[in-house]
Amino acid sequence: MPLDKYDQIAHLLRRAGFGAHPDEIEQKVARGLEATVDDLINFEKYPDVEPDEDLVSMLDLPVDEFNRMRGTFIGGLERWWLNAMITTKRPLVEKMTLFWHNLFATSIAGLPDPRQMYLQNENFRGNFEPETGQIMRPNPRSPFPLGNFRLILEYLTKDPAMLFWLDNWLNRKLNSEVGTNENYARELHELFSMGVEDVVAKVPNYTERDIRQASRALTGWTILRGRRNQSTFPRQFVFDARNHDFGPYEHLGQRGGTNADFIFDNIVRHRNPGQQQSAVGRFLGYRLFIFFGYDDPEPEIINALADVFDGAHGEQPYSIRNMLRTIFTPGNVVSEAFYSERAFKAHVKSPTEYIVGAFRLLNFDRQSGEPDSLSKNRLLVRTLINAMIGMGQYLLFPPDVSGWKEGLNWINTTFDLARFNFANAIATGLQARQGGIDVDRIMDQNDLRGASASEIVDFFARLLLQAPLSPGQRQTLIDYLNAPSENATENTPRNFVNMKVRGLIHLIMTMPEFQLS
Amino acid sequence: MGKTTRREFIKKSGFTLVTVGLSGRAFMRHLAMAANSTLTQAAALSENDRTLVVIQLAGGNDGLNTVIPLSGQNASLYRQFRSTLEIPEGEILSIGTDAGGTGLGLHPSLAPIKELYDQGRMGVIQSVGYPNPNRSHFRSMDIWHTANPDRPDATGWLGDYLDAAFPSNDNPLIAVSLAGGRLPLTLRADRIAVPAIGNVETYQFQTDPRFPGDAQNRIQTFLALNQEGAPQRVLYEQIRETALEAFESSVTLQQGIQRYTPDPNITYAANNPLARAMQQAAQIIAGDLGTRILYVSIGGFDTHQGQANRHAQLLGYLADAVNTFYRDMQRLGKDDRILMMTWSEFGRKVRENGNQGTDHGASAPQFVFGTPINGGIFGEHPDLTDLSSVDDTKFTIDFRSIYATILERWLEVDATELLGGSFELIPFL
Repeated sequence: MPLDKYDQIAHLLRRAGFGAHPDEIEQKVARGLEATVDDLINFEKYPDVEPDEDLVSMLDLPVDEFNRMRGTFIGGLERWWLNAMITTKRPLVEKMTLFWHNLFATSIAGLPDPRQMYLQNENFRGNFEPETGQIMRPNPRSPFPLGNFRLILEYLTKDPAMLFWLDNWLNRKLNSEVGTNENYARELHELFSMGVEDVVAKVPNYTERDIRQASRALTGWTILRGRRNQSTFPRQFVFDARNHDFGPYEHLGQRGGTNADFIFDNIVRHRNPGQQQSAVGRFLGYRLFIFFGYDDPEPEIINALADVFDGAHGEQPYSIRNMLRTIFTPGNVVSEAFYSERAFKAHVKSPTEYIVGAFRLLNFDRQSGEPDSLSKNRLLVRTLINAMIGMGQYLLFPPDVSGWKEGLNWINTTFDLARFNFANAIATGLQARQGGIDVDRIMDQNDLRGASASEIVDFFARLLLQAPLSPGQRQTLIDYLNAPSENATENTPRNFVNMKVRGLIHLIMTMPEFQLS
Repeated sequence: MGKTTRREFIKKSGFTLVTVGLSGRAFMRHLAMAANSTLTQAAALSENDRTLVVIQLAGGNDGLNTVIPLSGQNASLYRQFRSTLEIPEGEILSIGTDAGGTGLGLHPSLAPIKELYDQGRMGVIQSVGYPNPNRSHFRSMDIWHTANPDRPDATGWLGDYLDAAFPSNDNPLIAVSLAGGRLPLTLRADRIAVPAIGNVETYQFQTDPRFPGDAQNRIQTFLALNQEGAPQRVLYEQIRETALEAFESSVTLQQGIQRYTPDPNITYAANNPLARAMQQAAQIIAGDLGTRILYVSIGGFDTHQGQANRHAQLLGYLADAVNTFYRDMQRLGKDDRILMMTWSEFGRKVRENGNQGTDHGASAPQFVFGTPINGGIFGEHPDLTDLSSVDDTKFTIDFRSIYATILERWLEVDATELLGGSFELIPFL
């Protein structure tokens, strides 16, 4: 059974964004699928998220003074990012910022200063220039968020947080085999661009020696330290020629080069013997498709995306935007899979998708036509951070450089309990003024005040699940609304909304269907 | 808990199900009998109450600065290769001489486990690795997790053990991961779902505290919503079953851990993440919950720069956590049924890098601890005059020999089938 227009657009907006309210879906249905894809891909026509002035002002604090406010800054940064995902007009950019954070996983836990992580987040959005250490909204030279991957590798390598996280700021000329530190060179190949093996051909992409030679080319790519009379944190890339090894290098079958450009070029062009597609094209095709589509994609899908990356049909090579357009625009083998029944509701929501999606749908103001901003209430921020930790996706603190394992790895007993208890906390623990769910507004804006139990259940299923309930589940939820509390004093009509409707939201958020996107 | 079905379990716990349309199929999964292998039959005959505690040192522990050569050419080469990271000879805790005649000692931070060594409660297994060492953290971890250097697969070596040994398991806590809420590949099984517990205290299903009279309604509805199967939707089914397992294991856990009372003389250091996890392991063991495998993990061993202080701190965490846990087990009278083992995905380069750190290497020593073991040094220190083409030590003991020894002599199952080959046993058991 092919998906109908409403389902297709709801599906697209769940995957290329963080889900949409039925009002938003109806608007996009009226616009049509192709125009909706265009709105996502050509994000420049919509405004960027607003910076948080509190965070921005803390960028200029001297290190000593900043250190006393470290916790406040991290909490504010988490809230700002989640709020950006909830309120964005550029859902695909937000999704890709999350994608880059997982692919190029960097943790505050390995950094001298958490403000570097804020700069990295702006870098992933295309709003940072490592050569100057400054935020520019936008930076016209930046290849992020959807541009040329060859240049993305360069902006990644120069990123201040990354320079510290994988020690490349220390990497200096040593000998003709290796630099003083091979940590970044290894992950550049293994995690950030091509993987240990060709995704399709399953042959090794590189040798141990390629890593060691690449580390030579990356020597002297370091951070500008100790600007005189300024106690600012390290935030600016600098090329230190005195400690750079000018080659030539032997890397991925090529000999030559005087700098890391040689390495980046070799990486994006690398093809294993007898293979039609590049190793990087396949790696990114695979990673993008499992992020937006489904796990274990067929080799034809990976190869089709790799062809786009390689520019096999004459298009600009290395373009992330072209790959995304291929996934979402109907009329090719990749998008056919993306809109297939196999893909529908077959993606386990990450904790971020779970949290952001819930806020987008439940705190959507039908009058303004947008979701509310996430409150800055401290209790809410603490609840969110604890929830992210408990669900296994503490943004800005990935467990290691390989990022989070997605898909079914998001589902285990402890992560489940954290999801269910978070749902309980925002639906029934936190009140609207604390940043919880404004249930009264939902009841009023949707004419639910005098509605029957079955009408209320149907409303929330359409809002939250965007798929019909089975008859058994529907009846179970209706029975819940009708079942009186054991404690007679709780059974007042006034308590119905607070006790039962909030309970209903909690319960829907524990259903298997709600864990899936 | 005895051999009850899940449905009986939920009934006994007082959570009666209110709705119609229960399929109950989820409950049948664990009743599926394993294939008629000799292994299963052997396992059925060897119900013991032993527990294995796996301690992962994530990031690649520097073996050469963990067990350090004190004599001969190895000692002089060690000082040459480690010009800034060498541990001064006077600080190394000597543990005697290996079969090859090399005097050995432990890093000074390991003093708390040197106590166990001196009591014969610790085994040092030298130069552990596998052929064609992989220097990717993630690939090498998967190799250790799955005991398969050729092509790591989807289930772990202890997950395979659980599936084979407990074909009709009903204990939701037969194995528990205490690795920060994550379920390591080692414990992934085809049929047995292992709970991951982030924190035993918060491992509960919460309802609205303002309306306690509605709590039963909510819990019953939650269970009912997760009862209805959709057999054609694999992902959905796994999510649904995990939700039930979460609830069930949390109820069992909360009942069990009440039995643990801390001893004022045994303090798990609050600033030591491994000690905190091992205290939770102690709570589970004290609860007599039938748990056979416990898994803890500590990260940070990927010391590419500024290694000395960080490595000393991490080894201190390990030694302190193991020592405290061991004494706690003695106090509880459980030490004779507990075996601990360490593993790390690789050792580090023999030659330090230019940043007072070390890059990814190959073989390294591993430890086992416990009252039941034969203490001592097993195997020999790697020959530092004979390194691989990228300056790594060559392994002499296959890591699957440690697994095989534990499977055969501690968990009492046939290791050959589980490991897909036979490996020489090591006489620490």
